[in-house]
Amino acid sequence: MNKSIRRLIVSALACLLLSGAAGTTASAEPYEVYNYDQWGDAVPSQAGYIPERSVSGRDLGTTAFTEPSDIFLAPDGLFYIADSGNDRIVVCDAELTEKVRIIDTLTMPDGTKTSLSVPQGVFVTEDTLYIADSENSRVLVCGTDGKVIRELTKPESAAYDQNKTFMPKRVIADKAGNVYVVLGNITTGAAMFDPDGNFTGFYGANRVQPTAEIISDHFSGLFISDEKRARRTRNIPSGITSFDIDGDFIFTCSSSSTQTTDTVKKLNAAGKNIFADKEVTFGDYTPMYDTSQNRVLSSAITDIDIAEDGCINCLDQTSGRIFQYDEECGLLFITGGIAKQLGGFTQPAAIESCGEKLYVLDRTKNTVTVFTETEFGKTVHKASSLHNAGLYEEALGPWNDVLRMDGNYYAAYVGVASALLRQEDYRGAMKYAKKADAGRIYNKAFEGWRRQWLRENGGMLILGIAAVIAAAVFLTRQIRKRRRKGESTDDGSQTG
Amino acid sequence: MMDLRPAEWVRHAVMHPVEGFEDMRWKKSGSLKIAFFIVFMLFFGQIADDKLYGTQFYIPYDRVFNIVPYIVMSFVIFGAWVVGNWAVCTLLDGEGTMRNICIYSAYALIPYTVQLLLNAFLSHFLIRDEAVFIDVIRFIGIGWTAILLFSAVKAVHQYTFAKTVFAVLFTIGAMLIMLFLLVLFMSLMQQVFGFIFTIWTEISYRIRV
Repeated sequence: MNKSIRRLIVSALACLLLSGAAGTTASAEPYEVYNYDQWGDAVPSQAGYIPERSVSGRDLGTTAFTEPSDIFLAPDGLFYIADSGNDRIVVCDAELTEKVRIIDTLTMPDGTKTSLSVPQGVFVTEDTLYIADSENSRVLVCGTDGKVIRELTKPESAAYDQNKTFMPKRVIADKAGNVYVVLGNITTGAAMFDPDGNFTGFYGANRVQPTAEIISDHFSGLFISDEKRARRTRNIPSGITSFDIDGDFIFTCSSSSTQTTDTVKKLNAAGKNIFADKEVTFGDYTPMYDTSQNRVLSSAITDIDIAEDGCINCLDQTSGRIFQYDEECGLLFITGGIAKQLGGFTQPAAIESCGEKLYVLDRTKNTVTVFTETEFGKTVHKASSLHNAGLYEEALGPWNDVLRMDGNYYAAYVGVASALLRQEDYRGAMKYAKKADAGRIYNKAFEGWRRQWLRENGGMLILGIAAVIAAAVFLTRQIRKRRRKGESTDDGSQTG
Repeated sequence: MMDLRPAEWVRHAVMHPVEGFEDMRWKKSGSLKIAFFIVFMLFFGQIADDKLYGTQFYIPYDRVFNIVPYIVMSFVIFGAWVVGNWAVCTLLDGEGTMRNICIYSAYALIPYTVQLLLNAFLSHFLIRDEAVFIDVIRFIGIGWTAILLFSAVKAVHQYTFAKTVFAVLFTIGAMLIMLFLLVLFMSLMQQVFGFIFTIWTEISYRIRV
């Protein structure tokens, strides 16, 4: 009797525990949330974004998307989705609840109608709409009323290889009205057109990664004949896959899974890469082997988006993850994954951000997934933007909140160490800098602490050293005396 | 004349790079116990150099600690040097016994070992701007050990200067060959074990069925 009651209680408790455990593990995301620690090891982390809902074409009051390839948030707050498979651009409201209009035919300057064919990129400014009309080999520059102002086609310039077709994939325009077009088969950078539609050259080509093979090819190339050289495989960098513009800077990404240089670039107006000297690996640090798919997942960043606060969102198509970096290229969050459920992707194609939301377009699922910032994400963003602005002490509170929520978040240790260093709390700064593997901060903090310590205990230190020296001198003298006495007796015994 | 105790012989040998080892040889002095102690300290010095540095200079990856590299960098290298030197110098008319080569070489390692430990200690008190002290100490330690090692080989085998240079070069070659064979042997053993293990697994499955 007693035994059976006990057994009942135990089993009930076990059930309770198990259900509790199941409740905690079954979080909203169908993927593991992780981040990298100071040694580049992946560690579990708190989610910065959680999936909120996914929106299909039907949800917007139109037919389903077919292989959509680009999403863009216009300055007027409307979303433009390039629905490539249906040859149209779907415009919907900022809440992604219903369509506003559909762009599939446009009026040419001469009054004729023209229809889109597999539009793959869309970009909108205050008064102009740019469409990369891929299969028609043209970029359409139109007013918001749907009237085409200009049509950019294959340049007849000598700078453009005439054997190559003109296959626009993505398009952006800067404030001056220069149009930049990513072409599918061109590796020498984005084609650049001036406001009048004249081709002015290529912009922002990637560099070739100096691997051992390429270096040895270069040296063997010095000795081989011209015929042989002409037949060799050429070393060509991977082209730009996508880009985004933020003020005066253009950010580009390349979805090559083998290339590790220039995967993400920040280009100034002259086309110089500002991130060139940064030692940052965008995407996963080490390619991960996925047992369920039996393949190695090396990051291929397929789209990039710059948020209003300067954060860089990189969309990795192999792992389906969004890597978010702050403006200094510090990794903030890793969100998403390959999964069927909400929050996972099959073939992510484009990313857009607005405030605390992230929008990811999936080419195969034909949906837009909306992610929203968590409390943790909000705190990290606040802390990191204060930190990057140099307001270390103001960032201390948010960083401490971050550490309370996630002790694995190593950037927070750097933040706290910087703040404590500025507050001249050297012991605290040393403690946190050590945890953050921030040798430079630790060095500064240690210098300050040593100075402080010497100022307080300098006299004692000198006294101590003097005492030690005196004791040493005394002891050696004693030992020598004793030894000499021993030797003399030894000698005495020998002579005697 | 020169009736020193073993510990004092150590000081004499280290402080007199040119004649120290000759004197030791003349007095047939040197202690294996001290030699092994020095190599043991070298082992700890290598660990300290890699893992116990001041945080302002270097933060080691302390999630895993693998002791094998430190064993290789102290005991294995030293053993290879002693055996290699003995093997080479036996052919080159050297007079040193294995015991003496071991003792003299170990004594010669003292400045290097002291440098390792001293730098690991100092690194906790210096900042990065003062790293030049550490560099100077390291330079002195390595240079001193090189001179002592040379002089040890010269004294223990009673060689001329030129012959010592040859002996040292040949010893390094012998060390490389030995280590290469060691690696070869280990990979062979690994494969043999793998082979036996596979057969064992296969047989045990057959028996069970």
